[in-house]
Amino acid sequence: MDISVIFVIGIFLTFGMLLFTGFPVAWVLAGTSVIWTVIGIISVDYFGVDLWFDWGSSLGLIPERIWDLVGSDTLVALPMFIFMGIMLDQSGIAEKLMSNIVKLFGGIRGGHAVTVIVIGMLLAATTGIIGASVVLLGVLSIPVMMKNNYSKELAVGTACATGTLGILIPPSIMLVLMADRLATPDASVGDLFMGALFPGLMLGAMYVTYVLVLAAIKPSVAPASKDHVKVDAALFWEIFKAVIPTLGLILMVLGSIFAGIATPTEASGVGAAGAIILAAINGRLSFKVMQDTVIATTKTASFIFAIFVGATAFSVVLRGLGGDEVIKNALIGLPFGPDGILLTILFVVFLLGFFLDWVEITLIILPLVAPVVQSLGFDVVWFTILFAVCLQTSFLTPPVGFALFYIKGVCPPEIKVSHIYRGVLPFIMLQLVGLALIYYFPKIVTWLPSIAYG
Amino acid sequence: MPKTVLDPAQLGLTELDHDLNHHTELPRTAISDFLENIIDKIGYVCSWLWLVAVGVIICTVAARYVFGLGTVMLEEIQWHLVGAAWLVGLSYTIVHDDHVRVDIIHENLSIRSQAKVELFGILLLLLPFLLISLWEMVPYAMSSLSQNETSQSPNGLPFRWILKSVLPFSMVLLIMAASARLIRVSVLLFSKKPNKNNNVNKSI
Repeated sequence: MDISVIFVIGIFLTFGMLLFTGFPVAWVLAGTSVIWTVIGIISVDYFGVDLWFDWGSSLGLIPERIWDLVGSDTLVALPMFIFMGIMLDQSGIAEKLMSNIVKLFGGIRGGHAVTVIVIGMLLAATTGIIGASVVLLGVLSIPVMMKNNYSKELAVGTACATGTLGILIPPSIMLVLMADRLATPDASVGDLFMGALFPGLMLGAMYVTYVLVLAAIKPSVAPASKDHVKVDAALFWEIFKAVIPTLGLILMVLGSIFAGIATPTEASGVGAAGAIILAAINGRLSFKVMQDTVIATTKTASFIFAIFVGATAFSVVLRGLGGDEVIKNALIGLPFGPDGILLTILFVVFLLGFFLDWVEITLIILPLVAPVVQSLGFDVVWFTILFAVCLQTSFLTPPVGFALFYIKGVCPPEIKVSHIYRGVLPFIMLQLVGLALIYYFPKIVTWLPSIAYG
Repeated sequence: MPKTVLDPAQLGLTELDHDLNHHTELPRTAISDFLENIIDKIGYVCSWLWLVAVGVIICTVAARYVFGLGTVMLEEIQWHLVGAAWLVGLSYTIVHDDHVRVDIIHENLSIRSQAKVELFGILLLLLPFLLISLWEMVPYAMSSLSQNETSQSPNGLPFRWILKSVLPFSMVLLIMAASARLIRVSVLLFSKKPNKNNNVNKSI
């Protein structure tokens, strides 16, 4: 067996085992790279292993690689979108949206759940930190749905599933990160945003359809609101006024990117400024809110960039040990044909999503598999969106989906883990159907980018 | 663990933060407080760079679309600000223990076991990486200074060594943060006196 294969298995095993000690992921990656640099150099120098591996081709590259992260134009968008999301959370927009949109849908069966999905999709555009959007939606909506005698399963399932849509629907920081790692002109941030738009909306629409159908068949799980006011022109105007600032901000950010007016970086900064203005209009802007926002931005951006630093070191050493070739050969050697290889990758991503956050998977796995998939002739934007939906689904999947842990933290005590599991199950089915649709109809992803560049 | 439902109106980031992260409570010492206070202050000040960056981006957009000016220098200022902010933020995030962990096993460990993980992790994984990085980054920044390196673009920023010096500086801060944490877990693990609740505190 090729010595590189042993090294690659070793480095991933080391990473996997150390990960479960609970030491921060970023530093586990960094430390693993040091350990395997030492092992690599010792085996080359003292055991005559036939591999071109030395300090200069591994950790000696660290300053340049980290400098590449610092000097990246694309990555400026990351903290700016984080800033925008946190500022919007602080601005009280979400509560305002909830109380208004519920008036619109409250009268129909399942209306509260529909409201949650609509708000989730609107807010999805603004966050992208999976935990934060799940928690925010859970806190905001579960008590309201429980008060209206919704079944526990439906209430918690809706909040949980909709919260995870946040990492998919643009502007999503996950897509910014993916574009940076793919580093190919075929998949810019703009391309990925456009590619993710319809899959995201489609999944949202499927959720809404499911809730409405379920409520029609079994009215007891999602009753109509009792204290419902009549929808007339005046109320509609009220709701319109409440929704328009948020919607305007999202359209401004996405529109300027899609129309090619602004780069994603510029759009992210404009979005951040817009969020500050919205908070000011809502009377929520104060020194404390601003201070909380910048500090929270530092923490969130830094934990992502720390994993970036660790993953950079890990990738440099992995490549030095011949890992890229090993993984490429292993994938191409699979006896399933191109589509089988693609599905295998997606399945592995789905499994990895149980244990790892999207940041690690995007930073380590995506750059390893994307060139292989591209060389097999698949569209890289389409593949990346499949990858993203797959990740999002795995966060929902018991027993270890991330979203489930987060939602448990904010559920009222009468909601048990079993309610959560049963609640997300239908949504996982919907996700799988959505994934299959995207797989069989790539146009869902590729249509918008294709007309944008005509 | 049953939890009361939070009132959305009062839902600030502190509560969100508390829901999302498990913070192990470690004893504090004079030295670790000293180190962590320095990092905390620097990190706090640098956090405001995000807001400055937002302002610079608005200026860039305005300069291009309203006044039709070239914006290379402003674009470089953007990533200089953002780069400096997150490099410094790395250590700030250690002090506040907000780096992501896979806590499936970790959160069920006793506080002593968690401290042992922390002790071995810092000594065998984190510190070696930081020391190697610092070792490599100092000459990297020095060579930028000695060549008086500037932006490759004619309208770009001069003095590239300033931001390149932030690389080793951030490593120094990280080493300080890791050392402070190392001291705190060591006190918890090896101190003769058992820690009473009065000198145990949540990380600042």
